[in-house]
Amino acid sequence: MSYDTPSFDVSFADGTSALVSGDAKSARTAFYDAIADGLENGEAVIVVGTNDSPTQVIAALGDRTTVDEERLAIVDATGEGEDGVVDGVTVRAVGSTGDLTGLSLAFAKQLQLLEDRGVADRVRVGLDTVSTLLMYAEVQTVFRFLHVFTSRLGSADLLGLFTLTPDMHDEKQVNTVRTLFDTEARVEGGRVSLRGSGYE
Amino acid sequence: MNQMSDEPPVVLVIEDEQPLLDMYVGWLEDRYEVRSAATATAADEAFDESVDVVLLDREIPETSGSELLAEFRDRPGRCRVTMVTGVEPDFDIIDMGFDDYLTKPVTSEQLTDAVARLVHRDEVAAMTRRLFSLARKRSVLQTSKPADELTDSDEFDRLEREIESLRSDINESLERIDSGEMVSLVREFEAEANRPADPGCEAR
Repeated sequence: MSYDTPSFDVSFADGTSALVSGDAKSARTAFYDAIADGLENGEAVIVVGTNDSPTQVIAALGDRTTVDEERLAIVDATGEGEDGVVDGVTVRAVGSTGDLTGLSLAFAKQLQLLEDRGVADRVRVGLDTVSTLLMYAEVQTVFRFLHVFTSRLGSADLLGLFTLTPDMHDEKQVNTVRTLFDTEARVEGGRVSLRGSGYE
Repeated sequence: MNQMSDEPPVVLVIEDEQPLLDMYVGWLEDRYEVRSAATATAADEAFDESVDVVLLDREIPETSGSELLAEFRDRPGRCRVTMVTGVEPDFDIIDMGFDDYLTKPVTSEQLTDAVARLVHRDEVAAMTRRLFSLARKRSVLQTSKPADELTDSDEFDRLEREIESLRSDINESLERIDSGEMVSLVREFEAEANRPADPGCEAR
């Protein structure tokens, strides 16, 4: 099995985590395109949003595909939301953006929810954006968080997509974070080019 | 802590019922260096920064498990604590500073698994810390030296290989990580980031 992603013109292997890098707007567009591909395939989706509210996440996906509320779960990591249901979609909120334990716990609960609904056979997980996490938490903590988070996606054979805007950080930080990802989708001028492994 | 060396991890068992204490020690002493204490005073004496894992009975005469725990947390060193309790506790106890808990009666397998889990968590924490420091070092070199100079450098080559091998060790170690372990590790990373610098860290 794999995760077909027509918008990147690739199919990701189970358990892959890919960095989606580019300027904030292009990376966000490519990210939602690739997440919507998952819903289109009949997969379940968990979106962790650090900037977009649940309403904005649902709108971005709704612009691209039909959203089946049963197969979508949102972690609101903007630090401004609360647990609840938005447009039929279950939302778990994290107290503050830099609270990575809270984020992990909220994600774990959403994955459990999809499992309980019997739709967690294939789950595409998106985190938008690592750049915000780097502004709110220490780079070492974000690095280690990403390592165990992507390992969890790997152990459950899920797909992970993580946006990053390199221009927002110094090059050293960006290269350090890159160490964790075997796959990178670079978005430039609306074009996506893949490098690394974990796809075909 | 000494998980990166050949020394066995040190486990301190605190239990006031002597037969239980002896039994727990018996289950663990093959694999670990085990210290035991039946009273709060003895626990206080046996505890120092070389202790990796504490197995703590919730009801200890003269004090309570949580008071003892608070005392350990105030001291240098970063031990992990499994509380052994007679009643099924709320999830909140994890927020009280315990890393794990076991409900009595405890079997040999449960006990050794719990200790192994905490030792494993410790290893993963140390390995990811080390990987970060290597990745940052490589990154500094990449941004400060021309690419052809790096290609020719044996030192850079060694660094790359060390990163790859450590990454693969960590991946293997986390191959079957579940959600609970993910949350525990992230909680630990954050706690570590908020703690004053531990002089032992960089040496590991």
